[in-house]
Amino acid sequence: MCRRQLLNLMLIMGVLLTQTGCWSSFEIEDLSLYGGLALDEGEPTETEQDLNKQGGSYPRKNLITATIQIVPVNSFGSKSKSDKGHTAQYLNISETGDSLLEILRQYSVRLERMVIGHHLKVIIISTKLAQKQSMDQILDFVLRDNDIRPSCTVFLSEGKAMDVLEASRPGEVSAFRIQGMLRNHYRTSKVMKGVNLSQLDALMNSKRSFVLQNIISTKKDLEFAGAGIIKGETGNWIGSLDQPDVESISWIKGEVQGGAIKSYTEKNVPVIYEIKSMKSKMKAKVQGDDISFHVDIQSQGRFTENWDIKNDPSKAQFMEEAEKIFEKRLSQMIDSLMWKMQSKYKVDVAGFGECLSIQHPHVWKKVKDHWDEEFSQIPVTFDIKLKITDFGSSLK
Amino acid sequence: MISMWSQFVSYIPDWTTFMQAGLTLLIPIIICYSFRSLHSMIKEQNSTEKRALSTDSSGETSGSKLAGDYKSDVELIKQAIGNNCDVHFREFIMGGYEVGATLIFVAGMQAAEHINTQVLQILMMNAEKDSKDNKSLPSNSELSAYMKQKLLPVCEIKEVVDIRDLNQSILNGHIALFIEGMPNALVMSMPNEKTRSITEPTSEALIRGPRIGFTEVLSENTAILRRQGRTENLEMTMYEVGNYLKRNLVVAYMKDIVNLDLLEEVKQRISKMDMDYFAESGYVEQLIEDNILSPFQQGQNTERPDRVISALLEGRIAILLDGTPFALIVPVTFSMLLQSPEDYYERWIPGTLLRILRFFAAFMALMAPALYISFISFHPGLIPTELAISIIEARQGVPFPATIEGLILAISLEILREAGIRLPKPIGPAMGIVGGLIIGEASVQAGIVSPFLVIVVAFTAISSFSIPMFSAGITLRILRFVGMLFAGTLGMYGTVLFFLLICSHLTKLKSFGVPYVTPISPFRINDWKDLFLRAPLPLMKQRPDMMKTQQKKRRS
Repeated sequence: MCRRQLLNLMLIMGVLLTQTGCWSSFEIEDLSLYGGLALDEGEPTETEQDLNKQGGSYPRKNLITATIQIVPVNSFGSKSKSDKGHTAQYLNISETGDSLLEILRQYSVRLERMVIGHHLKVIIISTKLAQKQSMDQILDFVLRDNDIRPSCTVFLSEGKAMDVLEASRPGEVSAFRIQGMLRNHYRTSKVMKGVNLSQLDALMNSKRSFVLQNIISTKKDLEFAGAGIIKGETGNWIGSLDQPDVESISWIKGEVQGGAIKSYTEKNVPVIYEIKSMKSKMKAKVQGDDISFHVDIQSQGRFTENWDIKNDPSKAQFMEEAEKIFEKRLSQMIDSLMWKMQSKYKVDVAGFGECLSIQHPHVWKKVKDHWDEEFSQIPVTFDIKLKITDFGSSLK
Repeated sequence: MISMWSQFVSYIPDWTTFMQAGLTLLIPIIICYSFRSLHSMIKEQNSTEKRALSTDSSGETSGSKLAGDYKSDVELIKQAIGNNCDVHFREFIMGGYEVGATLIFVAGMQAAEHINTQVLQILMMNAEKDSKDNKSLPSNSELSAYMKQKLLPVCEIKEVVDIRDLNQSILNGHIALFIEGMPNALVMSMPNEKTRSITEPTSEALIRGPRIGFTEVLSENTAILRRQGRTENLEMTMYEVGNYLKRNLVVAYMKDIVNLDLLEEVKQRISKMDMDYFAESGYVEQLIEDNILSPFQQGQNTERPDRVISALLEGRIAILLDGTPFALIVPVTFSMLLQSPEDYYERWIPGTLLRILRFFAAFMALMAPALYISFISFHPGLIPTELAISIIEARQGVPFPATIEGLILAISLEILREAGIRLPKPIGPAMGIVGGLIIGEASVQAGIVSPFLVIVVAFTAISSFSIPMFSAGITLRILRFVGMLFAGTLGMYGTVLFFLLICSHLTKLKSFGVPYVTPISPFRINDWKDLFLRAPLPLMKQRPDMMKTQQKKRRS
């Protein structure tokens, strides 16, 4: 009786053991995360060329060079806290090929720990690559992959993308720094709201043109500088916008959360308007086949900095003058952007198309296939109202 | 038609899928059957033993009676229990009547001066005065009545004829008196049991609340219960338990509140209990519980009279055993284990908050290491990036996988805790320092465990201390290890599986017919007032629905 019970128990355990599906545990210390991914046009790095010479090669076309930023660096044994600031916190490693997945797997022949993409924060694409290949092709794997989160942000770089990942101060990981810099959107609208993978997916699928934040870098430092335009139809990079243009896009879209407008008085000394709040209303007008837009921009702000020490900010007349100056400056900025969008590049990246599709969906259906061309002919009027509410806590 | 059929066929999976499905179906069936057979096996053994014993004891009960002859009776007692060094036979001559008498008692169990003043003095001296009126003793049958009515100023006194009864009452601390010419023995009780004073219950300390706790003496415990409030509805029924060493057991309940079926069930189970000796109320708990294989307790043990009395008012039943300060409350529901009397003594907002905190702590005590292991070994993507990086850095050079590491630390913590209980009080804190600080710190320094795990395990331990019922804490501690094994093999999937397994077991479990997780699982919205939330007292107008009490309302 007892033996049979024991036999039954063994049988149960045996069945249980064969049933368990996944024994796929990977201890976290045996993994390495990559926080940043830089995509350049295919050009093997020196290390790679050396390795290739010795036979480390496989059949491939050199279309793309992917650099991943691995954190933390494998440092065996406990390192003392003091040298944490001096050694590099990351390891950048590049590989060239024609398939992103194959490249990522190729790292396994060079690294002892497998890389996982869960914690990928930023993807930087060089404009040269984006000029040659469409964004759809470049990012196809990233969008399909299950590990990589849709919250990952995409940037462009006019230089080499891998240099951006190199550029960092000691003790700092540039991928995380870039991600952190995005938060400064509310300090200045020169920093765009980041475009993450899921938004990018939607933009690419709807064939709309869009802008991505541009990053420039030196050996030691990096900076957000304007934006690159991706043409919706082709998915290629066609040109750049500078920092005031990025600000102007935010003004038109009504996404400004903070920042300043600087202008010069008649005496050619700077005065500064600090934005406290802003509202923007875009209206599409349709008359027959004619489409036109009107944008109403209203803002309240503070007269924060004044180099014109002769004039007294407490005087209403001076404030009204100042408001005019700032309005003029803003409309100049916007005009410059409109010229670039309508004449230079012939794209719409400020959300006019979206406005039309919401307000007049029937008209949108007719024009949406050739919207960028259509947009370059459409008149856009602006009504800008800046209001200075106060001049800070000093009278001078 | 044919094409449709072929399309239909193409969707039917191949035989391996069916095979797998069949095997998977077998698992719960096999588990269910094996548990059932195991359960019935235990139950069977219990009942067969009982039958054998009951025939034994029935032969014993037909005890012999006293013959009525003074000398031979005393001799009979002497033969039976006279070998004991502590049984004293005090022979004397009754003053005035000049008849022989013997006092039999056990040394140390009576107050000696009471024997001297209330028995010996009266029989040897005062009886002389009495004898002047009577001249001769009353005849056989009237003698005992005469003694009880006229001579002995003792409250508890009775006539005993049965020898076995007599022996037992002498050994239990009664005094037996034999007088020449009296056919029976007189048994008096002047107990002087050494008891400890009533102290604060150490296992269930409160900040606010009565400081009174049960003691080891049953009569005192019942008296404490009576003293909680005046009512004629508190009924206590006495049982004698134990085959070899007998002890008294009291079942207490409110006779107009308690559910009568429940009372019947409890009484039946108590009378069915079969054990040579009941050392503690834990014996009772284990013998009357529904499910022997469950890790969860099905009787709540408590030292606090206030807890018992409020349970009685909810319609529960208390079982008190002589010789232990722990009373048992049945039936038990899961929420009771996480409630403290203080929840009701404090205002309802802090009471509610503390209770929710305790539920959270219980969850953490059960799941925290399992969650940690599944995050570390299976789902690195679920950890925030910064934390993931610092965990990777901290775990560089840790030689074991997270499961083994967790087991090492958790087991050593259990050893520490066990050792802490055994140690004499002055060494206890030193032990904590050595174990907690030095071993913890040193093992991190030595790289055997990672500092994160130390945090997790310490947090788990503190969480398990915050559970008001000690034995419920043990249950969670045991299950924690099972959870760690599940997490170590199947990751988050296993952790969820483990949680579901516990939930399904709890929903199936019953304590005296009351479902264990009752306000949640057989959903009773009225009882939710006293589950996670402790509703303000004016809102708690009714006794718990789950107890199916005779009286529903708490208010008049």
